[in-house]
Amino acid sequence: MARLLIIPVVLLALLTGAMIWSRGDAQPRADFVYVNQDEVGTLDPRGMSWTQDLRLSYALWEGLWRLDPVSMKPVPGTADRIELSPDRRTYTLHIRENARWSNGDPVLAGDFVFAWRRMLEQPGNYGYLFHYVEGAQRYKQAFADNAPCDFEAVGIRAVDPHTLRVTLAHPVVFFADLGALPPFFPMHEPSMRKFHVVDSATGRVSYDARFTRPPNLVTNGPYRLEAWEFRRKIRLVASDHYWNKAAVKCRTIDVLNFSDARTALLKYETGGVDWLSEINDIDASDLIARGRTDVHVFPGFGTSFYALNCLPRLPDGRSNPLADVRVRRALVMAIDKRPIVQNVARLNQPIATSFVPPGAFEHYIPPAGSPFDPKQARGLLAEAKHAGGEGLSTLSILYNESTENALVAQIIRKQWLDTLGVRAELSPIEAKIFRHRVRTRNYDLSRASWVGDYNDVSTFLDKFRSDSDNNQTGWSNPRYDQLCQRAAEEPDLRRRLQLYREAEQILCDEAPIIPLYHYVSCYLYRDNVRGLALDPRGMLMFHALEVRRP
Amino acid sequence: MRRYLAFRILQLPLILAAIYLLTFFLTWVVPGSPFDKDDKVSDKLAMKLMAQRFHADQWQSFLAYYPLRIVRGDFGQSMQYSDWSVTDIVKSALPISMALGLFALSIATVAGVGIGVLAAVKRGGIWDFLSLTIALVGISVPSFVVASALLLFFCVRHPWFAISRCESIADLILPGIALALLPMAYITRLTRVAMLDVLSSDFVRTARAKGLSRAAVIWKHCLKHALLPVFTYLGPAAAATLTGSFVVETVFNIPGLGQHFVNSVRNKDQTLILAVVMIYSTLLLVLNLLVDIGYSLLDPRISVQEKAAS
Repeated sequence: MARLLIIPVVLLALLTGAMIWSRGDAQPRADFVYVNQDEVGTLDPRGMSWTQDLRLSYALWEGLWRLDPVSMKPVPGTADRIELSPDRRTYTLHIRENARWSNGDPVLAGDFVFAWRRMLEQPGNYGYLFHYVEGAQRYKQAFADNAPCDFEAVGIRAVDPHTLRVTLAHPVVFFADLGALPPFFPMHEPSMRKFHVVDSATGRVSYDARFTRPPNLVTNGPYRLEAWEFRRKIRLVASDHYWNKAAVKCRTIDVLNFSDARTALLKYETGGVDWLSEINDIDASDLIARGRTDVHVFPGFGTSFYALNCLPRLPDGRSNPLADVRVRRALVMAIDKRPIVQNVARLNQPIATSFVPPGAFEHYIPPAGSPFDPKQARGLLAEAKHAGGEGLSTLSILYNESTENALVAQIIRKQWLDTLGVRAELSPIEAKIFRHRVRTRNYDLSRASWVGDYNDVSTFLDKFRSDSDNNQTGWSNPRYDQLCQRAAEEPDLRRRLQLYREAEQILCDEAPIIPLYHYVSCYLYRDNVRGLALDPRGMLMFHALEVRRP
Repeated sequence: MRRYLAFRILQLPLILAAIYLLTFFLTWVVPGSPFDKDDKVSDKLAMKLMAQRFHADQWQSFLAYYPLRIVRGDFGQSMQYSDWSVTDIVKSALPISMALGLFALSIATVAGVGIGVLAAVKRGGIWDFLSLTIALVGISVPSFVVASALLLFFCVRHPWFAISRCESIADLILPGIALALLPMAYITRLTRVAMLDVLSSDFVRTARAKGLSRAAVIWKHCLKHALLPVFTYLGPAAAATLTGSFVVETVFNIPGLGQHFVNSVRNKDQTLILAVVMIYSTLLLVLNLLVDIGYSLLDPRISVQEKAAS
């Protein structure tokens, strides 16, 4: 009998030991607490691409420009004086004398040169944003090919410790917007030095990722990284050396990690969280229906659409009916998008007939696009000699598995069958394989979405240029490419937008995509939270945050 | 005995190596890239550099780089959470899952055996009915229902417990119960059946005839025998429970290892997949070995060789 008692005793001892080993420790609640739905991908601005990583990086770093907390427009940040040459290609940026890293070191022009050069030599997902800088693209490619390359030829230069000179390949009207983005943040080389990893074959230096972990990470923004517990939380503490520290209102910020949106919502409901930046559309619409005033719905920065494979032949070698623009237009015009927004998306999302979200860019008015018009749709299909769906094989709708995607696909399939007699089948698939199939253009139609990165129309329309890796439709139009290129180099704002509008008109007419609706974002926060901008891109200037507690 | 043990222990690395190769092969043939993290196409150069950094540009370079390091306990960096090494991730997640699993296993064993014994002794009575109910509920109600119900009732309706906190043993109670229900159901049934079997055997009757009390016969003589099937079940059950549960960890937002079993595959995070598979396999193999050794301790009639021969 005594021997049997050993089992519970041992179990209890192990349990206590494991609990101590897991280092569960209680820390008082931070001044501001919000939730990330997944663990941060990386805290190295070079490799960031997820919204939550980019958002968090604004707390830790500051670029030459920063964003105004209310208007979210670029204003001088680490640079206090900015001069632009008459040909609008050369920026001379004077870095604030009192700009400091979180360890007290001054922020110097060389820190920007170091970070930007690293961006070219070990590019992350946003490496292409540097192509606007003179010589940068050539240098990046040559470096990757192990060809001779000279950084002197790149338009990035520290004139003196506090002056940075940037020469662009052509005038870029939105360069200030780019300069505020995380890929353009400076990096503190001395603190990264001990994480040097030298490649034995090439002799090239990279950095062990541990440099981003506390206490190693040195940043120049309003906050510094105090603690990072994997899958639990990140704690930020106001930096003592930030040049504008008087403006920082919350002393501490906790970023909690919740993989389940419902559990995060329950945490918010019980008061453990101040801000939920993501919430299920269903939960949000339920809360709104219950008259809750802490649900804040506002325009997003993206569009949900279907991409059509426009290549002349399908992957299995059959000729592709979707290569015919009349078939594509018929499919577009046969869809009534109202049930999608009302019954699936549920947050009163604006119905999309064109690609660029209306209102996303000042002064840009997207073309009207194709309306829901069953009669004309049938006419177009008949014109393509497929009246009533005759001679058309069953189209496959590819989507990554989710309830919402399935519902949208079902609605569209039914509408095509009822309106045009066109048959379609649903092909749900796992997300990674879905991306692989879309990228290899191994699909007929696929669910798609696009969210812009920076504050210029090109962040949307460049996607469909023939040379864009993100154009996965196989659609190509030389006139479209030409208009986009001309717009990119056009310094006059009005003319630029006109060129982009013409390009988008071509996109609407040729219908390589079926725009469904424009995204909205939904935040959940109570009215004791101030300084939280409703930014379409989901960004936030943390120093302006304030929580009034009773 | 010793020879058999040595043989089993020598087998371990070979089985583990086979599991490693098989898992590696499976992660490699699945389409999609671990570095392809969102719908946007990443800079091609960036993707190439990432693959090189992880020695994942070719399968040969992956196999040449990682296995030797794993022996030293270094699983490499996570491909999804590139700031973290897999070893760091496992170090932060495994203790939590183990604490939770041990707690759940303790509840399951103590309650399961207790109720199972009572059910057998008072066959047809209220305890028997209770054991049947527990088994039915435990096996048929999925853990996400139990977990969500517990969360709603004890954290929201009656806020006796904090949501998603992992700081003290009290925080393990709700997820522990959710996790314990299934093994408890099995243990209850196993104990009951084995106990009924033993109760009707000759030596029990002899013991009673010799004048031993009922309690002494049940707890001292019968239980030892009745526990054998439970013990067999405990090996794999412990491996499964100690490495965490995806569902329970997600609902209660516990940063344990269980979620990585599912998420690493979803993210095609090869280094992390291999790490969790190896940890699970090692635990399973070691625990099964311990169970086999435990047999001979619990029941001297069974020697390890005999079992091996059978």
